Amino acid sequence: MQRIELLCTRCPRGCLLRVTVVESRVVVEGNECPVGEKHGAEEALNPRRIVSTTVRIIGARLPRLPVRTSEPVLKNRVRDVVAALKNIVVEAPVKAGQVILKNVVDTGVDVIAERDMERA
Amino acid sequence: MRGVTVIGGGPSGLAAAVGLAEKGYDVAVVEVMGELGGMLTQCIHDGFGTKVFGEALSGPEFSERLVKKARSLGLKVFLNTYVKEVRAGEGFKEVVAVSPGGVQRLQTRAIVYAIGCRERNGFEIRLGGTRPAGVYTAGMVQRLVNLYGVLPGRRIVIMGGGDVGMIVARHLHLEGVESILMVFPEAGFAGLPRNVQQCVLDFGIPFRPRTVVKKVIGRERVEGVVLTRVDEKWNPVEGTEEFHACDTVVLALGLVPYTGELKLGVRMDPATRGPEVNEFFETSVEGVFAVGNLVQVFDYVDDAFETACIAARGVEKYLNGGLKTAPVRLSPGGNVRMLAPQRVEWVDDGDVPVFLRPAVEKANVRVVVRNREGRILGGFFKRYVRPSTLERIDVPRSMLSNLQEVSIDIAED
Repeated sequence: MQRIELLCTRCPRGCLLRVTVVESRVVVEGNECPVGEKHGAEEALNPRRIVSTTVRIIGARLPRLPVRTSEPVLKNRVRDVVAALKNIVVEAPVKAGQVILKNVVDTGVDVIAERDMERA
Repeated sequence: MRGVTVIGGGPSGLAAAVGLAEKGYDVAVVEVMGELGGMLTQCIHDGFGTKVFGEALSGPEFSERLVKKARSLGLKVFLNTYVKEVRAGEGFKEVVAVSPGGVQRLQTRAIVYAIGCRERNGFEIRLGGTRPAGVYTAGMVQRLVNLYGVLPGRRIVIMGGGDVGMIVARHLHLEGVESILMVFPEAGFAGLPRNVQQCVLDFGIPFRPRTVVKKVIGRERVEGVVLTRVDEKWNPVEGTEEFHACDTVVLALGLVPYTGELKLGVRMDPATRGPEVNEFFETSVEGVFAVGNLVQVFDYVDDAFETACIAARGVEKYLNGGLKTAPVRLSPGGNVRMLAPQRVEWVDDGDVPVFLRPAVEKANVRVVVRNREGRILGGFFKRYVRPSTLERIDVPRSMLSNLQEVSIDIAED
């Protein structure tokens, strides 16, 4: 049995959801609406986040390039994604959307540049 | 003479400039920094643009869409250019700006201010103690980390539990600082639930509600802070003082419209602390508009963007001799902290979007428009309101006809 507590992020109310998972059965409590129930179940079974950070860039006007995962990755992989990008160095010019690291830590998700960075 | 000069090249300024250039007006944008995009450039997290573009973008992605549009429309852009003086008289407006190419005197028919907001500082809350190195505003930390890859310190205390504080806490945590403690005088986080969960709870970042930094300790560099508990009225509780070692203090104390750089006498609203505007975001000076976070601090860039689009339509009306009538004044009533626009005066048939900040947290409420005698003219149902979320209602113009003033409140059941 797995029990988690989390704030619903789907509206300003921010219900405190208590989610219990027993085998494949999911029970959500504390939600005030059906959207919260769905959100609670998703967060318990498959919680995902977009990861944003920066990597070093050479030859640009700024020393860092903002990057993010192209799709949300499992929440417990967030730290691994950031760690995998620690020693990545790219060279300007870079285009927004360009893949910086393919299939980061085997998540099946690429890390992409968030912006253009011209050569300075 | 140029049609329109936009002061500020962040999302709101760009939205106004692009909106007007698309309609064929000759537009110039004056930006003090070295590139367009404003604060979004350093907001590398995602979640921007869900209302405007229908997808969650990062800050740089959001602004790049606008910048590309601006480029394709051939907008005149002055970068690294500081506005020194603004003159607005009958039929004559001039923006005097210092640019790398020399002093620019931009004569123009209309002006749009989009200079955003600023961070509240330690003096405003009378932060006690010494003034060593290691005290930063949250926006400065975000800039250092996300643009320059520089960590401000290793052991961090963040003052403030709003959205900016939480987002910066996550950046610092992921970039590998040793410890973070968030303190704030409220009973709970003041920001959006989304940020509470995804920035703080996701990473187990420690926080202490009803706690403030009484003073900063340190000679050359921050050595720690004295924390104290506070009661519901934010008064310190005696005997709760405690030393907490750290090398960095981050001030995330909230945002206020950046009116100090207006350089023009326009009427202010003491509640929003920004310029008072009509329904097309025109200030008290004809042909001078104000948009985005300068008017009122918005939670979502999408809403700030929307005010700029509305103002672009207003500028067009102004330039084409649109008519005005006697103004209807809008004022905040019970349970509403502030609202904008503060008056309605153009001849137009569109609904009037009103943005208001609730003073209460409540479920299933009605936002109610009343006349001077307190009679209800109309109501708007909201499932849930709270101070951290700005609300929008679209008031039909017919509801306001032949009135001098209305108030808008959140009705008690």
